[in-house]
Amino acid sequence: MSPTSGAKQFKLPDVGEGLTEAEIVTWRVKPGDTVEVNDVVVEIETAKSLVELPCPYAGTVADLLVGEGETVAVGTPIIAVSDGSDGSDGSDGAVGIPAEEGAVEPGLIGGPAPGGRTSVLVGYGPKTTEAKRRPRKTGAVPTGVSSATAQQGVQSAFSTEVTPPTPELDVEQAEPAVPQVADVVTRRSPGPPVAALGGGAARVLAKPPVRKLAKDLGVDLGAVPATGPGGVVTRADVEGHARGASSTPEAAPTSGSETRIPVKGVRKMTAQAMVASAFTAPHVTEWVTIDATRTMRLVQRLRADRDFADVKVSPLLVVAKAVCLAARRTPEVNATFDDAAQEIVLKHGVNLGIAAATPRGLVVPNIKGADQMTLRELAGALSELTDTAREGRTQPEQMAGGTFTITNVGVFGVDAGTPILNPGETGILAVGAIAKKPWVVRSRVRPRWVTTLALSFDHRVVDGAQGSRFLADVAALVHDPAQALLH
Amino acid sequence: MSNDGSADLVQLLTPEGERRKHPDYRCDLDDAAIRDLYRDLVLTRRIDTEATALQRQGELGIWASLLGQEAAQIGSGRALRPQDHAFPTYREHGVAWCRGVDPLRLLGLFRGVDQGGWDPRETNFHLYTIVIGAQTLHATGYAMGIQRDGAVGTGDADRDAAVIAYFGDGATSQGDVNEAFIWASVLNAPVVFFCQNNQWAISEPIERQSRIPLYQRAMGFGFPGVQVDGNDVLACHAVATAALQRAREGQGPTLVEAFTYRMGAHTTSDDPTRYRLSGDLEHWKLKDPIARVKAYLSRGGGADEAFFADVEAESGSIAQRLREGCLSMPDPHVLDIFDQVYAEPTDELARQKEQLATYLAGFETGDGAVSA
Amino acid sequence: MTQLTLAKALTSGMRAAMESDPKVLIMGEDVGKLGGVFRVTDGLQKDFGEDRVIDTPLAESGILGTAVGLALRGYRPVCEIQFDGFVYPAYDQIVSQVAKMRFRSQGRLSMPIVIRIPFGGGIGAVEHHSESPEAQFAHTAGLKVVACANPADAYWMIQQAIASDDPIVFLEPKRRYWEKAEVDESATPVPLHSSRIVREGDDVTVLAYGPMVKTSLEAAIAAGEEHKSLEVVDLRSLSPLDMDPVLASVRKTGRAVVVHEAVVNLGLGAELAARISEDAFYALESPVLRVGGFDTPYPPSRIEEEYLPDLDRVLDAVDRALAY
Repeated sequence: MSPTSGAKQFKLPDVGEGLTEAEIVTWRVKPGDTVEVNDVVVEIETAKSLVELPCPYAGTVADLLVGEGETVAVGTPIIAVSDGSDGSDGSDGAVGIPAEEGAVEPGLIGGPAPGGRTSVLVGYGPKTTEAKRRPRKTGAVPTGVSSATAQQGVQSAFSTEVTPPTPELDVEQAEPAVPQVADVVTRRSPGPPVAALGGGAARVLAKPPVRKLAKDLGVDLGAVPATGPGGVVTRADVEGHARGASSTPEAAPTSGSETRIPVKGVRKMTAQAMVASAFTAPHVTEWVTIDATRTMRLVQRLRADRDFADVKVSPLLVVAKAVCLAARRTPEVNATFDDAAQEIVLKHGVNLGIAAATPRGLVVPNIKGADQMTLRELAGALSELTDTAREGRTQPEQMAGGTFTITNVGVFGVDAGTPILNPGETGILAVGAIAKKPWVVRSRVRPRWVTTLALSFDHRVVDGAQGSRFLADVAALVHDPAQALLH
Repeated sequence: MSNDGSADLVQLLTPEGERRKHPDYRCDLDDAAIRDLYRDLVLTRRIDTEATALQRQGELGIWASLLGQEAAQIGSGRALRPQDHAFPTYREHGVAWCRGVDPLRLLGLFRGVDQGGWDPRETNFHLYTIVIGAQTLHATGYAMGIQRDGAVGTGDADRDAAVIAYFGDGATSQGDVNEAFIWASVLNAPVVFFCQNNQWAISEPIERQSRIPLYQRAMGFGFPGVQVDGNDVLACHAVATAALQRAREGQGPTLVEAFTYRMGAHTTSDDPTRYRLSGDLEHWKLKDPIARVKAYLSRGGGADEAFFADVEAESGSIAQRLREGCLSMPDPHVLDIFDQVYAEPTDELARQKEQLATYLAGFETGDGAVSA
Repeated sequence: MTQLTLAKALTSGMRAAMESDPKVLIMGEDVGKLGGVFRVTDGLQKDFGEDRVIDTPLAESGILGTAVGLALRGYRPVCEIQFDGFVYPAYDQIVSQVAKMRFRSQGRLSMPIVIRIPFGGGIGAVEHHSESPEAQFAHTAGLKVVACANPADAYWMIQQAIASDDPIVFLEPKRRYWEKAEVDESATPVPLHSSRIVREGDDVTVLAYGPMVKTSLEAAIAAGEEHKSLEVVDLRSLSPLDMDPVLASVRKTGRAVVVHEAVVNLGLGAELAARISEDAFYALESPVLRVGGFDTPYPPSRIEEEYLPDLDRVLDAVDRALAY
């Protein structure tokens, strides 16, 4: 049946869950009848019982849209009532008393209720919900407090020592640069984190996992420049501090006879680290000059080897391997001195740091588990490490956790030096330039590839005998790589 | 179960519309006054019916129908003086009518836009109390206040005040109600305890609440109890008038049990066919409170057809106004709730309000407008 | 396996408990003839009789007080409080008597009482029918508090609660009464006082119970579309709390959001936040955030949806946690 134009349609009211349809049992009116608001027009049957539906409109019944005995879905128009707009006799607005005065309406607890709800004794009833998020305006921050207020709160809460937030380094950052305030729970001042001003000094701000990391690395949080939002020390900051992270030194102000370069960023951290190291660990340096010709020949052979075709092979590779092997016999050089616990901590495995001069300054990334690597793997790791460092892309994790360092002073043409230990380590080996020098070989003077290896060690951990033995082992391997078979 | 009340039931107008006399209570109302009562009864019923229909159509969350209880409420409601104070439950729409509360204001609670939209200080009609029986203690305390204001037993008809506390049969089992009886009696408080015994507390019949007729409980507490035909507006008016007067004079509390029947369901989603017999309903239909007044007025010449037609028309327009008003009732704004908790607002609440406002403003519909 | 609504699952569970132990009684207003205002005790009086399924006088204090006496006499009363907002007349009996009886009798006296309470909002109700008083009971030593969130849990947890010799406040999410799910009546249930991961994820742990479990699961679905992976934990037992799965989850994700309808101030979320910060401190990438009701009485029903936590509020908190 088609709806009559100009008539209002009464749709089968929404039912609750599980009940989506009803059967039209009995029509109480027919086309042409006058109906008042609330007149019962039809009896329907749901799964639970019979319900009488009162009409929400007044007027004349134009059409019964569903026949008796038919079952229809919720929302289906079931009756059309014309209210006079199409010329038929409309209601004058008066309402009558419903037909069944004093009658008891059947209840339907758990059954249908208008608005897609389920009927309850005491209210509209529960609605069904969707797993859909309400659309938000673009740029809406997840917050209860505006960014401006939060930012203000953050700034005012800080001590002067902390650097202002630069979000780039914190990889976890979502859109708002400053984390916002709680939904319902409010904090005493907006915007985390608030520096508690207790005992006169401002406290360092860092998340719990970062604090743990600092503790594990033996890093003083207070000495770490913070680059996280709100002046928070990030994981990267800690790791970078431990290794000397990168940040671009600024141009220096010049005046007359002198130029002042502010000590900050990497340089500052390096300076601090050097001081910490030099004046904590008693450094002893020993050196040995060796004939490294066989290493050089090995290097040439490897360069021609198909397996090593796509990696850089250098004498440094052989020295690195030698260090790993020698460390087995003298584990003390691959250790750390835990002053607080008064313990020497021997590290299992060698995380071999390679000091690199990069555009951003001194960087010491390390190869994790270098001792477990084949020569080929070690070559690959070295190549990658140096390439990355050269491009200034060394990541914080690469600089953390090193156990022994090699510094290649040879690239500068320098023979040897007295390197300073990387803080937390007990040994550092400086490799000098490898150059052709006169050498005595079987009583004759021949030009040979000669280099000097200089080992600094922490005398609290490594005694003279140990240091000497280690250096001698490394030297022996560089002199004669075949000795590696003995290890 | 007794469908007829005790032998002590006070009745002044039979179901057939005949006047009766009673040794202790007299109806002094003339025909004009009885016509007014008739109009009150019809309009109250019409409001109730309209609200029931509105609920069926989803415009109200629930409605607690007073169908069948009109006489008890109008009779007692019209016995109140302006300075008296009434404490209703959640079904006293007839008493609200007598107190001058716009019926539309009642709808707010059931529609869910407020929790009591009239001012008790102006109307002397407290907000609806849904926690069963709690209001009887409130009424007793209010009566204690009246005592301390010296507004009891002065003889000044405009000053002496009383309190009327409404509650149902089920409520008489609650501790609060029994405590109220104790307090009112030992402190001699000017309060009338008006119990509409409509025989049912949802599905539980009166026998689950009391072994004896409720009005007899008062004796145990030490004050008079009266059982009145709750469907007889004249008797209810007479008994309530007397009880209120006792209270105003300083003679303390009275328990009035209006013996009536809940013709409808407990609330609109209740299904009484699950627990009561249709025979009882039929029995009570014969005792309809409005029919007997109409019969009396028609037979006795106290009212003519024109009068009845006028009341009918008026009931129609009241219902229409109610419907229109209900449908156009504005929803409250969620942010307003934060300002309504304390006399002295707290910083914490101010913050929560601000945060919610910001949160709501982040959505595309954006102005924090409420979606139903 | 049967498809049951949460309400019917409770009925089935109670039926099973009553069949297996003749000492189990059900008592409350309108529970017998009517079968309860939510039909949860439907059919039980017909099958077990008026002595075991009792329509009580209208007095909550009376229900709990007499339950104490019945328990002392060896019965196992299952009390129904018709709506959360009406438990308060019984509060004294619950906290002063039920909760303390074992303790003060040095273990001689047992209170194997279950106090069933439909709780929470979202049903468009008038006052006092949408409360969330669970924290008050969880805060009371001597009581145990649990909340079911789905039909299967409802079926098993009610039986376990009845079998427990401790008094248990058994919270039923009334807005979920008509939601259906499969119930395997032959399964072996997990322990009553255990929490459960109901959806695995990696980014944020969402802790919920009762009506908010479904809300949280819907939020997780919506979050998935934003490539955020939420792990949802149904706490199930509010007192005692089963923290092991919670802590394991937080250690995995590093972030926690607690969701409950109850007012945030001093709600269960506060306890969870404290325990998490104490026992998983180093795992936390963000503070534990709480989503719940504001510090006002429950509002009129036309605005309850703005008051109650919903999917959007949960995700707002998730976003804030991720922003740290």
